[in-house]
Amino acid sequence: MAVEVSRRRFLQGSVAMTVIGGMSMAPSDLFSNEEEHGSQAMTTKTGTGEAKIVPTLCEMCVNKCAALARVENGVVTKLDPNPMFPKSRNMLCPRGNAGIQALYDPDRLKYPMIRVGEKGEGKFKRVSWEEAYDAILNGTDKFPGLAKILDEEKDNRSTIFFCAGEGMAEHTFKTFFNGFGSANWLNHASLCLRTVVSGYGVTLGAYPQADLENAEYIIMAGANRAEAIVTPDTMDFFKRTKGRGAKLICVDPRFTNTAAKADKWLPIKPGTDLAFVLALTYVAIMEELYDKAYVEKYFDGFTQYKNHLYSEGYTPEWAEKITGIPAKDIYEIARDFMKHAPKAVYYPGRRSTFAKNDFQLRRAMAIFQALGGGIDTKGGLVFGKKLPLKPHATVAPMYAQAEGIDVERAKGHPGYSDCAIVSGGGSWIGFRNRVLEGKGLYPIRGMFLYKHNPMMNMPNTKKTAEFLKKLDLIVTIDTMPSDTVMYADVVLPECTYLERTDPVKTFGGPEPSIAVRNKVIDPMYETKPVIEILRGLTEKISKPLFEITKKYDEDVQDDIADRGEEEVYKDFDLTIPFKHSQEELNEHAVSDYPGAAEALKEHGVYYPNMDKWFKKVSVNEHVYYPDDKKAYTVRGGKPKTPSGKVMCNLKNIAKKGVDPMPTWRKEYEYSVPEGKFRMLTGRHAQFTQSGTSNNAMLHDLINENYIWINKRVAKKMGIKFGDMIEVSSEAGSTRLKAYPTEKIAPDQVFFIHGFGEESEELTWAYRSGGNDNAVIKDDIEPVYGAAVMHSTNVEIRKV
Amino acid sequence: MARYGMALDYKNCINCKACEVACKEENGVLLGADKHRIWVGVKEIEGEYPLLNIASNTFYPSQCQHCDNAPCEEVCPTHATHYDENGVVRVDPNKCILCSYCMNACPYDARYVDDRTMTVDKCNFCSDTRLARGETTTACQATCPTKVRIFGDLDDPNSEISQVLREREHFSLKPHLGTKPKLFYLM
Amino acid sequence: MDLQKIIPYKKMSLKELLVPENKLMALIAVVLTTLFLIGVAIYLVHGHHAYAVTREHPWGLLIAMYIFFVVSSTGLCIVGSFGDVFGFKDYMVVSKRAIFGSIITILSGFAVIAFEIGHPVTMMIYNVLSPGLTSAIWWMGTLYGLYLTFMIIEFIFLMRNDMARAKIFGLIGLLVGLAAHSNLGGVFGFLNARVVSNGVFYPTYFILTAFITGIYLIFIMYGYKYRGQPFPDDVAKALTNFMKIQGLLLAILMFFETWKMLTGVYGGMPERADTIIHILHTKSFWLGEVLCGMVIPFLLILKSKGTAIKQMVWASVIGMVGIFYMRYDLVHDTQLFPMQTLKIREYQLPPSFVDYFPSTAEMMIGFGAIGICMILYFIGTKLFDLDHMPEHH
Ligand SMILES: Nc1nc2c(c(=O)[nH]1)N[C@H]1C(S)=C(S)[C@@H](COP(=O)(O)OP(=O)(O)OC[C@H]3O[C@@H](n4cnc5c(=O)[nH]c(N)nc54)[C@H](O)[C@@H]3O)O[C@H]1N2
Ligand SMILES: Nc1nc2c(c(=O)[nH]1)N[C@H]1C(S)=C(S)[C@@H](COP(=O)(O)OP(=O)(O)OC[C@H]3O[C@@H](n4cnc5c(=O)[nH]c(N)nc54)[C@H](O)[C@@H]3O)O[C@H]1N2
Ligand code: SF4
Ligand code: SF4
Ligand code: SF4
Ligand code: SF4
Ligand code: SF4
Ligand SMILES: [Mo]
Repeated sequence: MAVEVSRRRFLQGSVAMTVIGGMSMAPSDLFSNEEEHGSQAMTTKTGTGEAKIVPTLCEMCVNKCAALARVENGVVTKLDPNPMFPKSRNMLCPRGNAGIQALYDPDRLKYPMIRVGEKGEGKFKRVSWEEAYDAILNGTDKFPGLAKILDEEKDNRSTIFFCAGEGMAEHTFKTFFNGFGSANWLNHASLCLRTVVSGYGVTLGAYPQADLENAEYIIMAGANRAEAIVTPDTMDFFKRTKGRGAKLICVDPRFTNTAAKADKWLPIKPGTDLAFVLALTYVAIMEELYDKAYVEKYFDGFTQYKNHLYSEGYTPEWAEKITGIPAKDIYEIARDFMKHAPKAVYYPGRRSTFAKNDFQLRRAMAIFQALGGGIDTKGGLVFGKKLPLKPHATVAPMYAQAEGIDVERAKGHPGYSDCAIVSGGGSWIGFRNRVLEGKGLYPIRGMFLYKHNPMMNMPNTKKTAEFLKKLDLIVTIDTMPSDTVMYADVVLPECTYLERTDPVKTFGGPEPSIAVRNKVIDPMYETKPVIEILRGLTEKISKPLFEITKKYDEDVQDDIADRGEEEVYKDFDLTIPFKHSQEELNEHAVSDYPGAAEALKEHGVYYPNMDKWFKKVSVNEHVYYPDDKKAYTVRGGKPKTPSGKVMCNLKNIAKKGVDPMPTWRKEYEYSVPEGKFRMLTGRHAQFTQSGTSNNAMLHDLINENYIWINKRVAKKMGIKFGDMIEVSSEAGSTRLKAYPTEKIAPDQVFFIHGFGEESEELTWAYRSGGNDNAVIKDDIEPVYGAAVMHSTNVEIRKV
Repeated sequence: MARYGMALDYKNCINCKACEVACKEENGVLLGADKHRIWVGVKEIEGEYPLLNIASNTFYPSQCQHCDNAPCEEVCPTHATHYDENGVVRVDPNKCILCSYCMNACPYDARYVDDRTMTVDKCNFCSDTRLARGETTTACQATCPTKVRIFGDLDDPNSEISQVLREREHFSLKPHLGTKPKLFYLM
Repeated sequence: MDLQKIIPYKKMSLKELLVPENKLMALIAVVLTTLFLIGVAIYLVHGHHAYAVTREHPWGLLIAMYIFFVVSSTGLCIVGSFGDVFGFKDYMVVSKRAIFGSIITILSGFAVIAFEIGHPVTMMIYNVLSPGLTSAIWWMGTLYGLYLTFMIIEFIFLMRNDMARAKIFGLIGLLVGLAAHSNLGGVFGFLNARVVSNGVFYPTYFILTAFITGIYLIFIMYGYKYRGQPFPDDVAKALTNFMKIQGLLLAILMFFETWKMLTGVYGGMPERADTIIHILHTKSFWLGEVLCGMVIPFLLILKSKGTAIKQMVWASVIGMVGIFYMRYDLVHDTQLFPMQTLKIREYQLPPSFVDYFPSTAEMMIGFGAIGICMILYFIGTKLFDLDHMPEHH
C-alpha cells in the first residue's frame, strides 16, 4: 500500500500564510521534532491494502463518541464512526474526524522538559523522564521542588493544588490527587456546567438527559446543539426539526444554527432567561395547565411557589419588559408546552452560568419541566440507567497537617466569601482571585495540571497569568504547548488519546452501555499515558514525601509507634493505584459482565444482549435496544431528590443567603451603556474550546474567529467585513476581525471561544483571532462561585 | 454494474462540516481554502435583527453531482474525465493535461486542482478508497451526525436510495442545464 | 540538405542578422523576451502556483494572450488570403508579410499556451491516444496544429514564388484556420454553465474580430516598415482598401456588441443579465474594448473617409490595445458569475462576481510573448523577402 501524503498549502482564503514560527530558535526547538523540523500538517489517503481497525473513543471533546481507527503501516489514516455505540449513534463530528491532525500535529509536546528561562517565557530544556521527576521532587536552581515546599509548609499538602479538564483519564489523575492529600481540586465545572448540574440536582435530584428522540416540543434556551455538539442530542434532534415531529423554540440572543432549525426563534436579552421561565411557569400555574396528578404526587412546596409567583407578579407582560420577548409568545409557548407535555422538554443545557442568577434559572427550568410531568418519562427528561463498574484499589491517606477546606467554607469566612456553596470542582475564579489577593488561609505554592488550559478557559486572562507567575511549582501534563504550559516549571508530555488505553467508562441513559478507549498506536516520541506518568512520578516521590509527613504529622508518628512504619506506609504508598496497567484495570472493572472484556476489545462497546439487539436497519440507522427495553422510565416519574419530590422551596439554602425559590431581582436586569456592547461567547461546531486551536484541518475551515457586530451598527461605525477590531473592557483587550451580520442585536457582540492563543509554539493557533477571556470580567456567580460569562460590557474600535 | 447516486435529506444538515473533514482524511485531499470535494452552502440570513427570516437560512450540502450528462466529460480533450463502470464521473490523473476546461464547464464548482499531481480532482464517491475496498458507504455519508446522506445504486429498485426517491419528493440543482445530476435533494 | 532549396532566404552572417534596425524596438523586444524567460523560470520553479488562477477563475491572462495571438494569426491569414488565395491583385502586395505574420503570431500563441497547459507532453500523447471528440479544445488544438503546418507550407511556396501551390495550401490553411478559430469560439460557446458565453455568438464574433485584428496588424507592420517615409503606391492602395473594409467591419462589430448587450440585459436570463450589467459598469469594457478597439479607429476612418492611412497606423496600435481588452474581457467575463453562489465558510462574504488579477509570472509570460513575436518578426523581415511578388502567376 502506498501511503500518499499531502502537504498543506498555506492558503487561507486569498491570504497566503507563511509558517516559520519560533521553531528555529534553540530552546524552543524542543517543541518540534528534529526530523520533522518545520514540517506541515498532512492528510493521508486511505489505502486498499491491509489495515488494522482498532475501536477507540474520541477525545476531541467531552462527548466520547466511538470511533474505529484505521491503521495502515503503523499510520492512522482514518477515523470512522463506530456504529455500535448507542451514545454516538454512528457518527463522528468534524473534530472527531480531525483527531488524526492532533496525533500528527508537528507542534505536539514530545519530550519531558524543565524550565530554564523566566516563568512564562516559554524557555525549556529537554530532559529525561527521570530528570523531570527529580525536578518535581527536588527542584532546580530556577524553582523549588515538592520536598522543599512541603517541608517549608510543614506537610500542608493543600499548599499544592490540582486541576484537570474533563476527560476519560481525569479519574486517574484524581486518584493521584486523592493520594497526595491536598484539599484543593479544581476542574472545568465552575467554568462550565456547575450551576445547571446543581440547579437540577437540588431540584430534581439529578441532572437528567433529554429524550430528544421522542420529545414533541422543545424549548432550547441558552444551548446551541447544532454547533455545540452533544451526543446523542445533536443527532437525535435535527432529524426531527423543521416540521418533522419535533417543534423547536430556540431562545438565544444570537441567531445560531440551532435557531435556523427552529419553528420560532426568540432573541432574548442576555441574562434574563429567569424572567422568561418564571412567566412561563406563571401561565402554566395560573391557567391550570400543569399536570395536576404529577404535582400532587411529586411536588414539594408547590403552593408556596404558586403564591410566590402570584405575589411577585411574574406575568408575561412583566417578563416582556425584562426579556424583550412578547407576552403573547410567552402565553402561547406555555400553553403549547403544557399541551405537548409530558412529551415536552425545556432543555437543561450544558455550559451555564451566563448570568449571576443562573442557579435560580436552572431551578426554575426544572420546576417548569416537572409541572408538565415530563420527568423520568419517554419524550421528557430521563434519568436512565447505568451499568455499574467495579472499583479498583486507591489510596486516600489522612494527612493531619493538610489544611482542609470543608469547615472553612462557610460563607463569610475570611478566605471564602466568594460563594455560598463550594462543590467538588471548586470555584476556579474564586480560588485564583483569593490567591492573587493574598486572602487564602494558607499559601498556595504549587499546581499539578492535567489536560486543562486556565490561560484560555477562565475570564480575565491577565489575572490568570499573574496567578500562575506567583506559583512556585507548576507541573503540567498536556499534549500541546498551550498558553498555560508556557508557564510550567516541569512539562510532562502525555500521548494523545489515540496512543493510549484509558479507564473504561459506563454511559447511562435510556440505552446504557460501557465503552472503552483502546490504544490505536504506540505512543510517539517520548510521550506516555497519564497512568504511566503517574506510575513513574509516584515511584519517585512517594517515599521522600512520606518522610516529610513523618517529620510533621503527629498522627502518623503515633501510628508508626503502634503499627510500625512498614504497615503505616502502606496507607501512604502513592504508587498503589498505578501498579497495574490500564488494560488490567479495565478487565477488572467489567469482570462482572461475562464477555464484556472481549467485546470491549473487539467492538469498543459492550452492553448486555448487544449481540442480539444491535442491528443495522438501514444505511444510516441502527437499533441498540428494542423499544420496550429502553430505560425511559426507571422510577415511575419519581424525582431523585432525597425526599423523592420536586423541590420548589429550598429552605436550607436560605440560611446561606440564597433565595429558596427562584426569584427575579432588579439587579438582574439587562442594561448596556450607550456606545458599549454586551459580550457573548460560545461554541462552534468545528472547534473545541481551546483544545483544538492548533488543529490544522479545523483551522482550514475557520482560520480565525471573527467578532459578530450588527450590520447596521457596523455600517454606522464604518466597519466592514474583515476590518481589524480592538475589543476592550476593564479586564483587558484583544483583537480580531469584524463580521457584520444581522444575526446579533445592535448592542451585543459575539465571538467563538478558544482562539487567540499567545503561545508561539503553536504554528496555527498563535495569535489567530481573539481570546474572549482576555476581555471577559471575572464576575462570580454567588451560589457556587462559577464564572459568569456574559455580564461584560465591552467597547469596540476599528484599528 | 451499479449506477451510484446520493440522496440528501438536506433539512437535517446542521452545517457541521464533518463530511468535508471525513472526505479530506479519507481521500487525502490537500488542505487549503479552495481544496475541497464537498461543501455546505449557506445563504446569508434575510431580514433585520430581530426580524429574521428563519427559512432563508438553509444549509445546502453539496459535492460533484455525478451528472449523467456531464459537461465536464464532454469538454475534456483527452478523456481524462470519464464515466466509470458505475456511472461515477472520474478523472484519470495520468491523462489530465490541466487545461482547466472542465473546471469552467462544471456548473456546480465541483472541481479543483490537486497540487501534488497538478491535475483536476473532485468527489469520486470514494471510488478509489472505500468502494475499492468493497465498502458500501462513502466517508461523508458514514460520518454525518444527522444522517443527511443516503448513498446507493439507482439501478437497483430495492436499494434504499431508489425507494426513498420513489417515496419522497426531491429536486436537483440547475436542472435547466440538462446535466441530469445524481445528487437528489429530498424535500 | 540545402535549406535554401526548400525555402529561399537571404544569406547573411549571424551578426548581420542580429543587428537591429531600430534600437528602441529591439530593446523593447529583448526586454519583453527576457521577461518571458523569467516568467517561464518562475513557472518552472513554482508550477501553476505562480499563476493567480483559482478554482473559481481557472482561466487567466495566459488564455487571453493565447487567444490574442491566435486571433491575430487567423486575422493575418484572412488578410493574406485576399491576394494569394483569392487572387485580388490589389491585396497581393501584403500576402507574404501577412502569412509570415500569421505564422509567428500563432507560434507566440503556442509559446504562451505551452506554459498554461499543465502537462503539454501528456497532451500530445492523449490527444492522439484518447481523443475527446466532443471537446472544442481538442478540435481547436488539433486544427490549429494542422493550420500551422499548412501556413508554413503556404509560406514556403510563397517564398518560392510557386503561387499555384501556395494558393492550394493557403486555401486549405485558411479553411482549417477558420474552423480552428470558430472552435475556439466554440470553446466558450459550448459552456452552457456560463450563460454570457454560451451560444453561437462567440464563434462568429471570433471570425469577425480576427479579420479586424488582421487589418490592424497589417497597418502596424507597414507603418513600422515605412516609418518616416511615404507608403509605396501599391501598399498605399492595399491599405486604403483595407481601411475601408475595416470601417465596415467595425460597424458590424459595434452592431454585434450592441445587440449582445441589449439581449443580455433585456433577455430576462437572470445570471446573464446580472453579468452583462456588471460588464457595462467596467472601464475595461468602455475604455478598452469600445473606445480603443472600435470607436477611435472607426471615427478616424469615418472622418478621413478611409484615406488617412498614416494616422490609421496609430489608430491600429490603439485598436490592438482594444483587441487585447476584448480577449482579456472575453475570458474574464465568462468566469465572472460564480458557479458557487453560497457561502461555504463561516467567515466569508457571500460570493459575488469573481475577481481575478494576473500574477507577475502570468504578466511576464503573457506580455513577454509579444517580445518573442517581435524578434521573430525582425528575423523574418531580414531573412525573407516579404515584399516582392512575382508579376504573373
Ligand atoms: N470565555 C469562555 N470561557 C470558557 C468557555 C466559553 O464558552 N467561553 N467554555 C468553558 C467550558 S464549557 C469549559 S468545559 C472549559 C474548558 O476548558 P479546558 O478544560 O481548559 O479545556 P480546553 O480549553 O479544551 O483545553 C484542554 C487542554 O487539554 C489539552 N489536551 C487535549 N487532549 C489532551 C490529552 O489527551 N491529554 C492531556 N494531558 N492534555 C490534553 C489541550 O492541549 C488543552 O491544553 O472552558 C470554559 N471557558
Ligand atoms: N463543537 C463543539 N461542541 C461542544 C463543545 C465545543 O467546544 N465544540 N464543547 C462541549 C462543552 S464542554 C460544553 S459545556 C457544551 C456547551 O454547549 P452549549 O451551552 O449549548 O453552547 P455555548 O455555545 O457555549 O452556549 C450556548 C448559547 O447560549 C447563548 N446565550 C448566551 N447568553 C444567553 C442568555 O442569556 N440566554 C440565552 N437563552 N442564551 C444565551 C449563546 O449565544 C450560545 O449560542 O458543548 C459541548 N460540545
Ligand atoms: S462530538 Fe465530535 S469531538 Fe466530541 S467526542 Fe464526539 S466525535 Fe469527538
Ligand atoms: S456532516 Fe452532515 S450535517 Fe454535517 S455538514 Fe455534512 S451533511 Fe451537514
Ligand atoms: S457536477 Fe461538475 S464535475 Fe461533477 S459530473 Fe457534473 S459537471 Fe462534472
Ligand atoms: S483539466 Fe484535465 S480533466 Fe479537465 S478537461 Fe482538461 S484534461 Fe480533462
Ligand atoms: S463521496 Fe467520498 S469523495 Fe465524494 S465527497 Fe463524499 S467522501 Fe468525498
Ligand atoms: Mo464545558
